[in-house]
Amino acid sequence: MMRRIARRLVAGLITIACIYTLTFVMVISIPGNPFQQGARNMPPAAERALRARYHMDDNWRYFLDFLRGAVRLDFGPTFTYADWTCNEIIATALPVSAMLGLLAIMIAVAVGVPAGVVSAVRRGGLTDVSILALVLVGISLPTFVTGAALLSVFAVYLKVAPVGGWGTLAHLPLPALTLSLPFIAYITRLTRMSMLDTLGSDFVRTALAKGLPQRTVVWKHALKPAFLPVLSYLGPATAQAMTGSFVVEKVFGVPGLGQHFVNAALNRDPGLILATVLVFATLLVTLNLVVDVLYAWIDPRITEAV
Amino acid sequence: MPSGDSHSDRDHQSRERKRATSLPPYQGGTQGGRFPNPERKRRAVFSLPRRARMRGGAIRTSVLWGSGIVLALLIVPSLVTLPLALRWYNVQELDSAVRHPPSLSPVVALDRYSGAPGHGAAPPWIRLAYRASSWLGHDDLGRSLLYRILPGFLISLAFGLAAAAMAVGIGALWGAVAAMAGGRIDMLMMRIVDVLYGLPYILMVILLKIALTRPLTAMFGGYTKAADLVILLVAIGGVSWLTMARVIRGQVLSLRGQPFIEAARAAGAGPVYILRRHLLPNLVGPIIVYATLVIPQAILQESFLSFLGIGVQQPTPSLGRLAADGVQAVNMYVDYWWLIVFPCGVLVATLLALNFIGDALRDAFDPQSSATAWV
Amino acid sequence: MFRNLFIACMTLAAVLISIYQFSSHEPRADFTYVNPSGIHTLDPARMSWTQDFRVALNIWEGLTTWDPATLAPIAGAATLPPQVSPDRLTYTFTIRGDARWSNGDPVTARDFVRGWRRAMEPGTAADYAFLFTDHIAGAAEYVAWRNEAVTVLAALETLRGGRRITSEQAKALSGYESIRTPSASAGPTLVNLAKEITPSASDADDKAWEAVAAALPTAGENWDRIADAVFDTHAARLDERFSRVGMSAVDDRTLVVRLARPCPYFLDLTAFPTLMPVHESIELLRESHRGAPITEQGLVVCDPQWTKPDYHPDGYPGLITNGAYRLADWTFKRRARLAVNPYFHAAGEVRCRTIDMLEYDNVSASLMAYEAGDVDFLTDLGVPYDHELFRLSQSGERPDLKRCVVLATYFFNFNCVSETIDGRKNPFLDARVRKAFTLAVDRRSIVDHVRRRGDRVASSFVPPAAIPGYEPPRGLDRDVETARRLLAEAGYADGADLGPIEVLYPPAQERVCQALARMWEEALNVHIELRAQESKTFAEEKAGHRFMIAWGNWYADYNDPTTFLDCLAAENGNNDSGYANPRYDALLADAAAQADPAARFALLRDAERVVVEEDCPILPILHYAELIAVRPGVNGIHPNARLWFPFRYVSVRR
Repeated sequence: MMRRIARRLVAGLITIACIYTLTFVMVISIPGNPFQQGARNMPPAAERALRARYHMDDNWRYFLDFLRGAVRLDFGPTFTYADWTCNEIIATALPVSAMLGLLAIMIAVAVGVPAGVVSAVRRGGLTDVSILALVLVGISLPTFVTGAALLSVFAVYLKVAPVGGWGTLAHLPLPALTLSLPFIAYITRLTRMSMLDTLGSDFVRTALAKGLPQRTVVWKHALKPAFLPVLSYLGPATAQAMTGSFVVEKVFGVPGLGQHFVNAALNRDPGLILATVLVFATLLVTLNLVVDVLYAWIDPRITEAV
Repeated sequence: MPSGDSHSDRDHQSRERKRATSLPPYQGGTQGGRFPNPERKRRAVFSLPRRARMRGGAIRTSVLWGSGIVLALLIVPSLVTLPLALRWYNVQELDSAVRHPPSLSPVVALDRYSGAPGHGAAPPWIRLAYRASSWLGHDDLGRSLLYRILPGFLISLAFGLAAAAMAVGIGALWGAVAAMAGGRIDMLMMRIVDVLYGLPYILMVILLKIALTRPLTAMFGGYTKAADLVILLVAIGGVSWLTMARVIRGQVLSLRGQPFIEAARAAGAGPVYILRRHLLPNLVGPIIVYATLVIPQAILQESFLSFLGIGVQQPTPSLGRLAADGVQAVNMYVDYWWLIVFPCGVLVATLLALNFIGDALRDAFDPQSSATAWV
Repeated sequence: MFRNLFIACMTLAAVLISIYQFSSHEPRADFTYVNPSGIHTLDPARMSWTQDFRVALNIWEGLTTWDPATLAPIAGAATLPPQVSPDRLTYTFTIRGDARWSNGDPVTARDFVRGWRRAMEPGTAADYAFLFTDHIAGAAEYVAWRNEAVTVLAALETLRGGRRITSEQAKALSGYESIRTPSASAGPTLVNLAKEITPSASDADDKAWEAVAAALPTAGENWDRIADAVFDTHAARLDERFSRVGMSAVDDRTLVVRLARPCPYFLDLTAFPTLMPVHESIELLRESHRGAPITEQGLVVCDPQWTKPDYHPDGYPGLITNGAYRLADWTFKRRARLAVNPYFHAAGEVRCRTIDMLEYDNVSASLMAYEAGDVDFLTDLGVPYDHELFRLSQSGERPDLKRCVVLATYFFNFNCVSETIDGRKNPFLDARVRKAFTLAVDRRSIVDHVRRRGDRVASSFVPPAAIPGYEPPRGLDRDVETARRLLAEAGYADGADLGPIEVLYPPAQERVCQALARMWEEALNVHIELRAQESKTFAEEKAGHRFMIAWGNWYADYNDPTTFLDCLAAENGNNDSGYANPRYDALLADAAAQADPAARFALLRDAERVVVEEDCPILPILHYAELIAVRPGVNGIHPNARLWFPFRYVSVRR
């Protein structure tokens, strides 16, 4: 177990390093002046001097400096919002996105898994098809449409939810629900498929033959092994949900991390781009690791193909 | 990959989970695994009460037919009106037709569309097509929504097909080669897939667009439309192949252990021959299934990119762009329902149909391990 | 197992929600408004966005400020009128006795000099530094001197680090005073260096300079000493050189400003946020090197976080301001709270004691919040359905939606300078082609049917009836026949001969550009390619003249036609079209030297006529009219042409 974790950790670190390097190469190859605020042009002497001051004129040095700072969790200054540091920006935005993402995943699991089980049990029937149709709507409509629709219905017409923003409990359900819809679809399909496989296996047939009620067999015995593929999907799904969906944040006005990815890129702000990328990559690798460990711990029979 | 609506769930699967007990090895051999194993299909139902067993595939089949019909109902008119739509998609009427609700009779004069002042000169089929121009209303520049949705549907579908082609062409090949090569090369290739998964999607797309626009425009002799198209294809197709690579690699890995492959190798066949002659026929099933599932994902991704402003350039329509424009018109003062209902309706219908067909295909082919069925 | 998972999830959810810090329930502020797209920076020197200016207007006070209704300059921190010399070049301001900072310190003239100097310095990278270099005597020379020194010091720092410098840097290095003619104290190393970097070839030979740059010794303690010597020499002369600039604090309460040329709108300028004072506590956060208050590269850099109210490293007291309000709290991307500055000279008259500035990323969401009653005032109603809001405001159904006629113009630039663009010939070098495109546009249709927000049709660059005493020329009306004729005269019998014409614009201008493209296609039979670029790429391509037609807009910086007309002067940094006409520049220079206001305006009018009726480097489409939303019960908000809203006059009756 320990060796497995160690191997995963090393692989994860290599992945993070590769992602960082790739992003860095892209960042330095983009033209643009990160210091320019408005539309007026800055004299090139000033830009060069500012680059020198922030150690950005020497790419290799900047690469190492940033990495050194990142290890100490100091991501340096940002030029998009000059009065703040990258740390502060991420510190304010990450908890918001994380909270939203976790809530979305929990909703997705709470809704998707039972839906998938029911769908598998009643395979081919009307229930199966209608459940599938319902959840597939989640991935048949873009998030900005579902978000705008939910916002219009619940916030504007029915007035039961606030119109956007963040800060109280009431701001949570709508964005979390919108964010969870695509995940619900995948989790339902995944649960359904793995349940179908499990329901065909010997031990289920044995249990039924022994006379156990179908309900117990399905929900208590068959679900456990069927849940494993869902678990391994949850790793990257949680990372994706937690680092903020740009669309959900834009539609609901949630001050999360997603907008910073986009704004940093649009403003050519190297510090913020690299910081957000590192955060995302670390989150992804960590969650994959957690999921791996959980998986192996739950099912010790698992052997690895490669 | 954060945000967005890529929806294409990428995952984790560089490791294949072989469950110790449950699944029998994939049926290789003479059948080549092309035909679904009826034994397996019955087994799931067999262990359940009779009631469930009797609700066979009837409803499923009818849904499949329904999906096919929906798609046909969308594709046929789009293709038929394509020559007209190519000329009419950008006909603006700024005075009378701006944001006009749907109406049965046309709102915009015929000569705006056909360009010829005399009505009598226009052939009857043009006049027929013209009569339909206001059925779905007009958008904020007075353009006919019908003649934007139909070509837009085709353009989105084209992107989906292109992404599917890339997924198959690059992804399947990548996965198969990695699995055949094994060892270090396999690990390297899959690491690359992992790293590409780990890149934040929106960021990469924006950076790509910023970095590549200038050089590509210069390369295409100043036609930015071509440059934009290439960037869009790269953005959409660039992630669609990752999933396919992993899936195919899993399949090839499990196939590699089959006796018939070993026999072929013992007989002296080279890896390329094995790939072409023995593996590819077995892979057709999963390839088709996942390619079909890539299409709706790509369409959704394109709509997300249009929302960001990076997608298809104005005035070219695409379902995603029309949906994004419609959403922005939503407000609490005036109802512009047709701007959002029609494009989103077509989008939902298309994607549902495609997803259903893909699901049904997957059910039928019954790919080996549910661990890879998270697409 | 599923149930256990369920319980675990619920517990996790409960824990998360309970530890999550929601904003504590503070009492609602007296007045709430929304800052569209958030505050970019609160540094008055670095500000460039109108919403940042709006905040600065309330927390700082310049020498003068604006009357909320008429926008005429009224007394701010200085008493009016100032003493003006007969040649109108020297202004002597007296700071009022009761002008105080938010910590009680009196506002002195030195605070103004500090703020103005900082805005000029290259390290601050202020967009509005040109306000000083254009108007104040000696400022341009000082800034040029500082820029040169900064280039040299940055180059020396590179050499010191063992890296190669560029040929431009080598050229600058060799031309630099301290190196060419080293003072005796600098020692022999500088003399050797001066000999070393004199190339044998001529100045313009790039290759020679490349060779020099490569040949310069890239390591060694020589560079340390040279860099230090040059740095010390420069640092020693900072104050002396600055004293030649036309701004000085004669004593605590007297500020003397010397202008480079007569400036009838100077009192309007002194109210602008870039010219606001800065408290001396900023010196605590200033970086220094070798005892001088500049960095190793010669830049004046203060910790950019000085604008935060709760930033206290090394005894810094947080942001101190001298306006009617002070910054009480600032949460990134959520809210900034202003509280009354108790030491403000008119603090007693300020009715709203606390103000909340909320940030909504999405204008629609802010509008919905306004409708829901959470927000009292909206300055930006730029939603896709704003024509609907305009209709409601015009019909009287919504008296809370008010229209401001703004001193701003929306136009398109033609590329007047590049020979080829992306390998294709640029047809807009010919004024007849530009004029043809201008004549083919139906502006009324764009204003009435595409934008539908009550903008005014523009046929001139400077908005009419906006600047008292100045009437812009009539401009060109729509005339498709003449347009086609001009195009034929220019050698293009059919518009299609021009080849594809590209229009560059940021995504928000989509609708207008599509309509415009259609108009040109129908009138001139020309093929238009539309290209939307996000804002930074767009700005870059415009600045690099890599476009054929590019969108542009301009908001007036001060109340005078030159704020618009200077943009088309040949050497101006904001001249995106690249237009260069010596006759035009001569007219502008004559106007600058003209003392009589009426004659001056006549000269400016002639200059504008050259631009809008003859040469047409720009195509004016409309003058903006913005909608603002003011909740009934809020008094003191007056729609005005520059969208300045000082909140000290606002009172709210709920």
